[in-house]
Amino acid sequence: MTAVFREGLKLGAFLRRDFKIMTSYRVGLSFGVVSLAIQALLFSLIGRVVDPARLPMYGGTRATYVEFVAVGLVLTLLAGLMLDRVANGIRQEQFVGTLEALLTTPTAVATIQVGTAAFELLAVPIRAGVLLLIIALAFGLRLEAEGVLPAVVLLLAFAPFVWGLGLLSAALVLTFRRGAGVVGLLTTVMGISAGAYFPLSVLPGWLATIAQANPLALTLEGLRAALIGGQSWGAIDTTLAVLVPLSAAALAAGVVAFRLALDRERRLGTLGLY
Amino acid sequence: MPHRPVLAAVRDLHRHFNGRPALQGVDVDLRAGDVHALLGPNGAGKTTLLRVLTGLAAPTSGTVTILGEDGSGRRSRTMAGRVGLVPSGTRTFYLRISGLENLIFFARLHGLRRREATKRARETLRDVGLGEAADRRVDTYSQGMQRRLAMARALLTRPDVLLVDEATHDLDPEGAEAVRQLTLRAAGDGAAVLWTTQRVEEIRGFAHSVTFLDRGVVRFAGSVTQLIDRAPIGRYVLALRDGVGNPVPARAVSEAVRHLAHVLPAPGADHVLIELRGGAPLGRVIAALAVDGHDVVACRPERSEIEEAFLALTSEGRAS
Repeated sequence: MTAVFREGLKLGAFLRRDFKIMTSYRVGLSFGVVSLAIQALLFSLIGRVVDPARLPMYGGTRATYVEFVAVGLVLTLLAGLMLDRVANGIRQEQFVGTLEALLTTPTAVATIQVGTAAFELLAVPIRAGVLLLIIALAFGLRLEAEGVLPAVVLLLAFAPFVWGLGLLSAALVLTFRRGAGVVGLLTTVMGISAGAYFPLSVLPGWLATIAQANPLALTLEGLRAALIGGQSWGAIDTTLAVLVPLSAAALAAGVVAFRLALDRERRLGTLGLY
Repeated sequence: MPHRPVLAAVRDLHRHFNGRPALQGVDVDLRAGDVHALLGPNGAGKTTLLRVLTGLAAPTSGTVTILGEDGSGRRSRTMAGRVGLVPSGTRTFYLRISGLENLIFFARLHGLRRREATKRARETLRDVGLGEAADRRVDTYSQGMQRRLAMARALLTRPDVLLVDEATHDLDPEGAEAVRQLTLRAAGDGAAVLWTTQRVEEIRGFAHSVTFLDRGVVRFAGSVTQLIDRAPIGRYVLALRDGVGNPVPARAVSEAVRHLAHVLPAPGADHVLIELRGGAPLGRVIAALAVDGHDVVACRPERSEIEEAFLALTSEGRAS
């Protein structure tokens, strides 16, 4: 059994732990569903005042605002949760008081880092699915089935980018014991500047220009082209060509920063302190 | 007992925090089957030494050897699995899940498959007397139960080196005794135990050897008996009665023993506190009191020998 496989098996322990903890907060779970429903309602109401002519076309079809924003909501939700969990997972363990106990087990720090985020990451597609279902049932969302596979590939290419940002944030949080707010701010700014809720055409020109290099914006446009326009691989290959190197660079930077922060804490002997 | 193998050793260990020394040239040997007590006042460096031994903090200089391997830097996973830690705080578990689930989680991080982890967790919980509470959430456990759970976690993998940090400081006598018995059992199974404490009395009859740390410096290393020898008792609390059974006033005692002892302010009206003058035997004090018609109905040292040694070593450290 290789070391990687052995470490991989440990992720199951984290998943089980977090499932047990989540189910101990039954009310919290139902609040989550209600919160999703409220978001869906809010954006559908906003959709009534948006001029349909200002919405972009995908594969020759003009998107409705609900279709447009549903994709934006799902991706920002996914990115926000991933960013938050990756950035704050270790910090959470510090607060609970379990970090040192974890670190004294023969477990790689990378496994602990992934493990603390794993359950949330698996829960994201479920939450996203629930959100899409609510929007579909309440507001008649219509997405193209042939775009699902390219959309999944785009999401997989985008995930390391968010993970890398999360690790950079985690390094900051570990070093300065503050910075959780930065994650929220980053998510909001990325969401707005990427055209998650409004078409890029209604944003100021400079913001629209920045969006050309924003991986979230690139992913969003690719997802919309796939899911709303039903466009297949041809529509996303350019996006992938830009996204994959960006994701790889962000992930590498995040891994290095997190490792440096962890080594510093170990050297100072302050890893378990919060 | 020097014939027992050394499982963990610290040599000339220094650890600084922002230039401030927390450990200065510390040497400690932990032998298989021994409970090694680490005594010292607050801020002595006990927890820092434990953190270095667990790999949670790196030494500034010096060596840490665990099971023959260098433990100063990043640890091999094998080494990490053979060192068990009982941390001093109680907040080291996931409170919203059961004791059993907590142990299964940690057992799996030690590389046990789920079925084996569950079996081992149940066995260990039974061993520490938490079998019936296994399925209860940890937030319903008392402090004593949480401490036993911490002990169970440390014993999950039957470690060769067991590090116990102030495990009894907030427990009632029964809870503290339960934790000490579990520790003795681990030592009986061959583990080398390092036991840090400020409850100096508990090391009597429990620890095999002692290191006394004060402000990061080893002030004493040896057996408990040798530690006791460092501090001859000088003060005694006496309960005295006169011929008709009334307490004897301090002034009368002072007159009776004036060449042998000082009489100091006492803890209560029924008691007298005396301090022997330069090596005077206690028996002569009692005899002198008897000659004056005062019966000594009870006599005890003001502080235990270990407590005296603790204070003496601490004040030696301040003087140096």
